[in-house]
This record gives sequence, structure tokens and C-alpha cells, in this order.
Amino acid sequence: MAMIEVQNLTKRYRDRSAIDGLTFSVKEGEILGFLGPNGAGKSTTMKILTGFLPPSEGTAKVAGFDVFEQPLEVKRRIGYLPETPPLYPEMTVRGYLKFVATLKQVPGRGLKAEVDRVAESTGVTNVMDRVIQNLSKGYKQRVGIAQALLGSPPVLILDEPTEGLDPSQRAEVRSLIKGLAGKHTLILSTHILPEVTMTCEKVLIINQGKMVAYDEIKNLASVHGQAESVSLEEIFIKLTAA
Amino acid sequence: MRTALAIARKELSIYFTTPWAYAVFTAMVALSSFFFMGLLQSFQQVQEMAQEHGWNRLPPDAAVYRNLTDGVVAQLWGVVLIVTLFVAPFLSMRLFAEERRNKTFELLLTTPVRPIELVLGKYLGGLGIISTALGLTIVFPLILSVFGASASEAGAALEWPTVLLGYGGVLLWGATCMAVGMFISSLTESQMVAALLTFVVLLPWMLLRGLAQGVEEPLRSFVNYMAFDSQLQNMLVGVLDLKALVFFLSVIFFSLLLTHRTVEAQRWA
Repeated sequence: MAMIEVQNLTKRYRDRSAIDGLTFSVKEGEILGFLGPNGAGKSTTMKILTGFLPPSEGTAKVAGFDVFEQPLEVKRRIGYLPETPPLYPEMTVRGYLKFVATLKQVPGRGLKAEVDRVAESTGVTNVMDRVIQNLSKGYKQRVGIAQALLGSPPVLILDEPTEGLDPSQRAEVRSLIKGLAGKHTLILSTHILPEVTMTCEKVLIINQGKMVAYDEIKNLASVHGQAESVSLEEIFIKLTAA
Repeated sequence: MRTALAIARKELSIYFTTPWAYAVFTAMVALSSFFFMGLLQSFQQVQEMAQEHGWNRLPPDAAVYRNLTDGVVAQLWGVVLIVTLFVAPFLSMRLFAEERRNKTFELLLTTPVRPIELVLGKYLGGLGIISTALGLTIVFPLILSVFGASASEAGAALEWPTVLLGYGGVLLWGATCMAVGMFISSLTESQMVAALLTFVVLLPWMLLRGLAQGVEEPLRSFVNYMAFDSQLQNMLVGVLDLKALVFFLSVIFFSLLLTHRTVEAQRWA
């Protein structure tokens, strides 16, 4: 049984469909890279998987639980970083992480330790007592990642996790993500193609709501490209040209 | 339940560590003080007139001015009710609207928090802040009891049971304003719109009594029943009115229910 199973997922708004007939699955411990141009439907798919939006058609299952029928069970098992990190500007980093840990039902006794743990793995330990609105964009992003990691959820859904980070911070997040594979199942969306090749095994390319590629990275070149060594970027541009 | 308390604690910590609530407190105290002074002055005037001419010669409704409790405090609570109506929307407006604006609504709805816990937690936070705001007005009865003299020679200047019951009525009204304000806040992303809409809902409620004059029975009785100040009249003068309690608790319950529905509706968007 796959950790994440999506069948024929469709989300329609009044005059258009944001996503149309999406079908994919992610095995336990796998990392799936979600690629697509802006407005392709990546964030919408993630919002449906995390139970924030309902699908118009189709099903989404996380850890065997249907996202629409049993949302609480799903939410207990996911960590989610939305496009805009959900931060409270007036809180301190520590206060915020403690609050989110409580929301995620982290048991009281281990709460402080858990907050310290995620702070350390995302490198925000030295800004714990700063008020969030005074942080730089990079630090804010890292706090966003930290809150997704609270409770060590089996499934992590990260929407553009390296957004706003400088190259060395990007490298840190990349190694963080690679370290999570195996124990956690991840879906991450990004524009930064080199990162996908570095961290993900499988890739799903989405364009205007429809799936245009879904395969392991090494197979993509042979399926869609002409030469063996065609880059992911070229494949991406070719598939999303329409 | 633990989650609801954590949410309440978060709301209160944000209220108390940012300037906005303190600005609202200042407005509350300033307005109440202003009217308090006015009431004291009227009281003094009537007392002086009574000294001169005797109580029998004064019009009957001046009888309330025989003691501080009826002459000042009961009317003060009436004024505080109106100040609360103006002030509460500015406290309740951020309860949900801010979450949408910060994009933290997504956080709340993708963590294992039940909508009921979310609504209760936020309402508890709102109750905390309005109680603090209204708690500031207790200073007026305290001033009166320290500096005032009682109508009879011995005894306290104020009848505290009456005062406290009236204060209870004020708190009940504050709780109702917060419940209505929270519901309206859940409907919009803009705090300004939330505050304005709350005001637009609460203000006619206050003016309903005036409307009652222009309509006939049985509508008049209905309109009079619905007007909040007629509900609270008895409480303000020290008569425990269960009818009023039930009325406002029903409004609070209904507002919380509607808020819950609005939060749930996100799931069906």
C-alpha cells in the first residue's frame, strides 16, 4: 500500500479546472518532486492532500486514510509547509513552535525537547527568542520548515521549501531533506530543477492542471528527451511549452 | 480541550504583547471616565437641590439620586454597555480575519485541530480580553466606595451586591459582543470589514428600542424583547433576571454555532 495515493484528482473553480485527472502514488520513504510552471496546480494539489481544500472529483489517500472522509487521521500524519509559511509575526520563534507543537498534539512532556530538536535541524536555534516579524526571509522560511517537522510526521508536504534561501542555506535544506528520506515520505514542489535532481527519485511534472510526466528521473530522459544526457530543464521546457 | 486552551493562550499572548488592545483599553477607560464625571456631576446637582428644597419637592424620578448605587453606578453600567458596543468590535475583529490574512488559517486547518476546539479556543481568548477591558471599569465603583458617603449615616457607600450584579450584566453583554464579533470576523479576511460589520450589527440592536415606538403590537413587544438594553435593565438595577441570561446565552451559543459552520465550510469549499 502506498503512503500517498491520488486517483483522478480534479479541482474545478467556476470557469476553469486548477487540476484535472491527476493520478499518482508515493511509496513509503520515497521523495516525489513536483514540478510545474507557476499556476500549474502544484499548490492546489498540496492543499487538497493536506485537507485544506476539498477535491471536485477523485480521491486522495494518505497512509490509507481518505483525506475527505477522515481528515483528522490524515492531519495527524502530515507536516505541511504552504507556499507562504504560516507564521504569526507577533510571536517569538520559540512561542510559535511551542504553539504549533501543541496543535499537532505533541505530548506535553517532550514538547520542549521536540521544539529544540526541530530548531536545531533547521538552524534556527540562535533566533529562538526573536519576534518573527523581525527575522530575515531566510530565517522565516526555516521556521516554516521547522514547524512542518514538529512531531516527526511520517508524511511531509513541502511547497517550495527553499524559497528565499541563499545558496548555502539551500544546500543545508537539501541535505536535511535527503536525511529525511527513508524514514519519512516527502512531496516537495519547487522551481529549482537542480534541487529535484539532487534530492528526488521520482518526478511529476504538471502543466495547466494536467500531468505531463511522471517517472523516475533517470527514465525521463529516455522517454521524453532525444539524447541520454538531456537535462531536466530541457525536458521541463519541452513539456510545458504548450 | 488542551488545544482549545493553547489557542486561547496564544490569542491572549498576542493581545497583550501588541499595542492594539492597550489602545482599546485606553479608549474604554477614557470614554467611561468622561461619562462617570458627568454622572457624578448630575448626582451632585440633584443632591444639592434636595438639600435646599427637600426630597419631596423634587420630581419622582430624582429619587434614584438618593444613593450612589442607583444614582451613579446603575447609570454608569448603562453607559459602559454602550461603550462596550463601540469598543468590542475592535477587539473581536482580529480573531479570525487575522488568521486568513497571515495565511495561518491553513496551518490551523491542516493540523489535527477540530473546528470546535478552534472556535472555543478563540472565543475563550476573546472572553479573556473583553473581561480585562471591562475589569478596568471596576475602578469607578471602587472610587465611589472609598470616597463616597452612604445615604444612611452608617454603612457602605454602595450596595455591592447590586453593583456586582449590574457588572455581571455588563460582562454578559461584553461576552455577547465578542461572540457576534468573532462570527463576523470568521467571514472576512479584512479586520476593518469585520469591525465595521460587527458595529453595523450591534448598533441597530441598541437602537431597536427607539424603533419600537413606531410600530404597533404585537410587533412592538417583540422588538422591545429583542432590544438588549431592555433585557439588561433588570440586571443593571440589581434584579437577577434569568430571562436576560437565557437570551444572551442563546445569542452567544448561536454565534458560536455559526462560527463553527463557517470554519467547517472551508472543508467543503
